Amino acid sequence: MKTRTGLAFLAPALILFGVFVLYPMLTAFSYAFYEWQGTSRQGFAGLSNFSALVNRAPFKTDLPRALLHNVLFFLGTMLVQNTIGLTVATLLHRRARTRRMLQTLYAMPYLVSPIVIGYLWTLLLSPTFGPVNQLLTKIGLEQFALPWLGDPKTALWVVILVSVWQWVGFPVLLYGAALGGVPEELTEAARVDGASHGQVFRRITFPLLVPAIGTVSVLTFIFAMEAFALPFAFGGSTGNPAGSTDFVSLLFYRSAFDSGAVDAIGTSSALATVLFLIIFGGAMAATKVLRRHERRMAS
Amino acid sequence: MTPRTLRSTLTLIAFTGVLAVGACAPSSDTDTSGSGGGDGKETTLTVWSWRVEDEAAYNKIFDAYEAKHEGVTVEFKPFKATEYNKILATGLAGSDGPDVPQVRSYGQVEPTIASKSLVPLDGKVDLSGWDENVVNSAKSKADGKLYSVPLARQTVQMFYNKSLFKKHGIDEAPTTWADFTAAGDKLLAGDVTPIAVGAKDDWTLPIVHEVLAAPRFGGAAFQKEVLSGQTSFTDPDFVASIDVFTQLAKYFPKNVTGVAVTDAQTLFSAEKAAMFPGGSFDMAVLKKANPGIDLGVFEVPAPTGSPEDKATTPGWADGNFAVNAKSPQREAALELVKWMSTKEFGQMVADEVKQISAVPGVTYNDPLLRQMADSYEKSPSPYLLLTDFRYGSPSGTDLMGKGVQQLLLGSKTAAQVAADIDAGVKTWFKPTP
Repeated sequence: MKTRTGLAFLAPALILFGVFVLYPMLTAFSYAFYEWQGTSRQGFAGLSNFSALVNRAPFKTDLPRALLHNVLFFLGTMLVQNTIGLTVATLLHRRARTRRMLQTLYAMPYLVSPIVIGYLWTLLLSPTFGPVNQLLTKIGLEQFALPWLGDPKTALWVVILVSVWQWVGFPVLLYGAALGGVPEELTEAARVDGASHGQVFRRITFPLLVPAIGTVSVLTFIFAMEAFALPFAFGGSTGNPAGSTDFVSLLFYRSAFDSGAVDAIGTSSALATVLFLIIFGGAMAATKVLRRHERRMAS
Repeated sequence: MTPRTLRSTLTLIAFTGVLAVGACAPSSDTDTSGSGGGDGKETTLTVWSWRVEDEAAYNKIFDAYEAKHEGVTVEFKPFKATEYNKILATGLAGSDGPDVPQVRSYGQVEPTIASKSLVPLDGKVDLSGWDENVVNSAKSKADGKLYSVPLARQTVQMFYNKSLFKKHGIDEAPTTWADFTAAGDKLLAGDVTPIAVGAKDDWTLPIVHEVLAAPRFGGAAFQKEVLSGQTSFTDPDFVASIDVFTQLAKYFPKNVTGVAVTDAQTLFSAEKAAMFPGGSFDMAVLKKANPGIDLGVFEVPAPTGSPEDKATTPGWADGNFAVNAKSPQREAALELVKWMSTKEFGQMVADEVKQISAVPGVTYNDPLLRQMADSYEKSPSPYLLLTDFRYGSPSGTDLMGKGVQQLLLGSKTAAQVAADIDAGVKTWFKPTP
């Protein structure tokens, strides 16, 4: 009786989840195992769509490159965004009066759509009319007035840094909340014992922040692997220039919707499945490690 | 956050992330043969298009059709261009698609044809006397049948600022390659960017290649040879045509791979650049950005060493209209599409939509439009990588765009770019001797 009542209460949510999440997901998976002629489904294809991702152009060359960019995006974001985020959150934690206002200010850019941010920065960094290069030239730093988005050496890093600029408020908020949860008696006791600021941070605050860092890392991983809107706004669906800002989602987009290949649905669904497995697998593995760490801390 | 809620949150986020990708795919093929409607009394035909900006023009055109066809109402429904492919694929796969969809051309329409979503029009629509290159946009390469009626011809050529030319001592549009480069040098000396190219956007580069160097690889003659397998993209003439970019790079804006096509258009309309290689579809944008500009167009003369010393106007067809195979009003839809192949419709496209109609014999009020149409009529050549090399992935245009960027960045030579194009298209292209 109890289970039945419980199920009745769960049913609306489960039905919504089933219809809008589970069903489309499973059908998308199933597409990857069929042959396609435009939008009409043909015979069972086994794993041939998956092997096309490894053996056939353009996937053979574009997929490893795009995946590498996703990984670099993740590592870059982790390193820069989290370091800045943690530093800012720690500094803000000590400023009781202005903390709220500054947190809001740091979080402002992520209220704007990434597409808008991308176009805005494209204008700012334009080598012909962009104010960034004009300013650099005016103050005598002409050697740094580079074609930021026109050179494969800098383009990917511009995408990463702009993304960091946009999202840095997010770790600031999360770390801010986590810092609020660090028991004051611990830090106070350490201070009484003569620990310096640095020592308190290293030995007490940081270990207690590990769960929050883990959460941010997993979310950053998912975010980086799914990156689409910002790279699209910067480099279009082909990852201009010369594929230097290409990401897996962009490759999916152009093979699904922009290609003249009649079997596009099969191969692009296979690509979506692979991307899902990478994200899901990565997130699950990281969560497992995190839980083990938490259990160790609790005991 | 407790470990449990954290775990659930992460799982949910991971799920929804992929849902975003997965949900983009269309539903599987369900047969929903038409029912109802089409009994001759009152018929409403829906036309889907990606030309939001042309809605008023199309309403006017279809008013004229309605006036002559009693009981027929044509509803024009435009969608955002960037989302149109997805919307149309879903519409045609289901039962609530349009009667007459605007479809892509050449290779881009092949997936729609392969879905059996369109009615073959052979024997129903007569396109005899039309430009072969234009008709091919409506045909399937897989079965050779006709599936749509082409709407417009797009031509690519050099736009130029006549008064800026005069100001720098260039009285006429160049007619020889030497004149062309001399004009570039004069403009460069006058601190004007000679040719506004936006190489950050790779899609524009195959167009620029056609504008600057179509005669260098041989245009239509090369098309025949490469399609039959007599030659390939590694042909010395094709390599030399890519190398034209190296020769002309000094006339492009500085840091050209960082310049977006909108920046290039702005340079041109702000009169900081004298030439802009673009399509007939760019004319409206250029005029709107600076209505006072003294705009002219010319065919870039054949580069030195070209197989034939004759300038050409490359072009292709697009904006085709077709009949949805699931339309319950197939006959009425066919009638409308048939009308779209008449001179009456073509003339209205020229006058209202302000594009070069695909229908032969249409006249143009706008002098520039007339000049572009006449040039194509006199010396046509196919925009080869679009008309014949977009039937698979990687497409010829994608390979050229990326390759020219690499060439301009100095990471590849023209020969390497040509070899990449050749190897890329050969993964799906089979010549037909």
